[in-house]
Amino acid sequence: MPRKPVHPANPASRNIRFKLNGKWVRVQTPPAKTLLRLLRDEFDLTGSKPGCEAGECGACTVLLGGVPVTSCMVLAGQVEGREVITIEGLSKRRINPIVKAFVEAGAVQCGYCIPGFVVAARGLLKEVRKPSREIVCSGLSGNICRCGGYSRIVEAVMKTSGR
Amino acid sequence: MVSPRSVRDALQILDEQRENVRIVAGSTDVSVMLKDGNIREECFLDISHLEALRYIRMGRDRLVRIGALATYGDCIRSSIIRRNARILVDAFDTLGSPQIRNLATVVGNLGNASPAGDAIPPLFVLNATVVLESVSERREMPAQDFLVDYRKTNRKPNELITEVSFSPVRRGEVAFFKKLGLRQANAIAIASVAFWGQIAEGPRFTDARIALGAVAPTVLRASRAEKVLLSGGLSRERIGEVARICASEAQPISDIRGSAEYRRKAVVGLTQLGFLEVLDGLRSRSGNESPKSSR
Repeated sequence: MPRKPVHPANPASRNIRFKLNGKWVRVQTPPAKTLLRLLRDEFDLTGSKPGCEAGECGACTVLLGGVPVTSCMVLAGQVEGREVITIEGLSKRRINPIVKAFVEAGAVQCGYCIPGFVVAARGLLKEVRKPSREIVCSGLSGNICRCGGYSRIVEAVMKTSGR
Repeated sequence: MVSPRSVRDALQILDEQRENVRIVAGSTDVSVMLKDGNIREECFLDISHLEALRYIRMGRDRLVRIGALATYGDCIRSSIIRRNARILVDAFDTLGSPQIRNLATVVGNLGNASPAGDAIPPLFVLNATVVLESVSERREMPAQDFLVDYRKTNRKPNELITEVSFSPVRRGEVAFFKKLGLRQANAIAIASVAFWGQIAEGPRFTDARIALGAVAPTVLRASRAEKVLLSGGLSRERIGEVARICASEAQPISDIRGSAEYRRKAVVGLTQLGFLEVLDGLRSRSGNESPKSSR
């Protein structure tokens, strides 16, 4: 028997359900809108920053399924059913220890890149509990700080991990 | 954009839509094209929900199999890859950034068919096989035959690449990947060299494969250099000769990342670096024990 055709209807927008910072949410969105724009426009989560919007700078980093990704490269339709954690989701009840370490180390200058660094660091520390300096540097290699504050940023992450 | 939930539905859509479809997995290429306005979004076939294709496994046939949705990050973290194909970990570690490696897929790199695709030279020297599926057929072909020209593959419009597979790097075999980029992270290759070889007393190679990246319209096997490498013992002199031949087999162009001349020099340097490390590795091993693989 012939299968019924699964013609793409190409709807201009789609209803998407995903877990955002611990809560299941629903949103009507064009499926090829980037996750970064979805978070900022529809959820008012403006901690994830638009920098290059081409995967080069890391300012928009979020955790997708527990691992850091550049949210400017993820299409909204692709997060259906998945879990997203943004910088806002890292400090819900108390200030995240990574954030605290950044403040204490004086790692923040203009601040634009910092949410991306913090989320990337969170992803790294989930994978490697006590990383060496080299591993911290490579774990943060997808993030750019145009103020050039790298040494204090690395120091903050090392400190969080207890090294 | 359509997001099917099963491989069968995806293949059916491909069969109905043919040329008008762009397959999207990690979306690291298409998101940039979308931003630049070089592509329409209506024609996307989003396969990111085909969980059945997200795997890295070793079959009973002792082949390592990477499914279409396995990301570079998945491979780097996989003990199967780390144990059986260290060369892939070395190559994938140089690719993009941690964030990009958690999105981009190995199979997507093959499908995109860029000469600078960093997964391709190592897969060439591992003699990898590409699996293509359509509603009516499943076929396999060597990765090397799959890539025909600059961004051109042998994939038929109704086919999906579902897997890439290869034999593990075994004891007595060595492999390396060397790449030159403009910086350490998030850099597209200016040139790259991948090698796999079977080593014997001497030391000399009894079998060898060399692939060059980013120096021709597609990734290239340096077959003349391979012949010279197999013609005698592995010495500094031979390494120099092999490196020069690799550079002469390259057909580089000049672009924003480097001139053709610079690329040829890079090929010489990368080839020498790789083989000198192999030679040092062999020398540092003590006694008469048979050579172990450096995976």
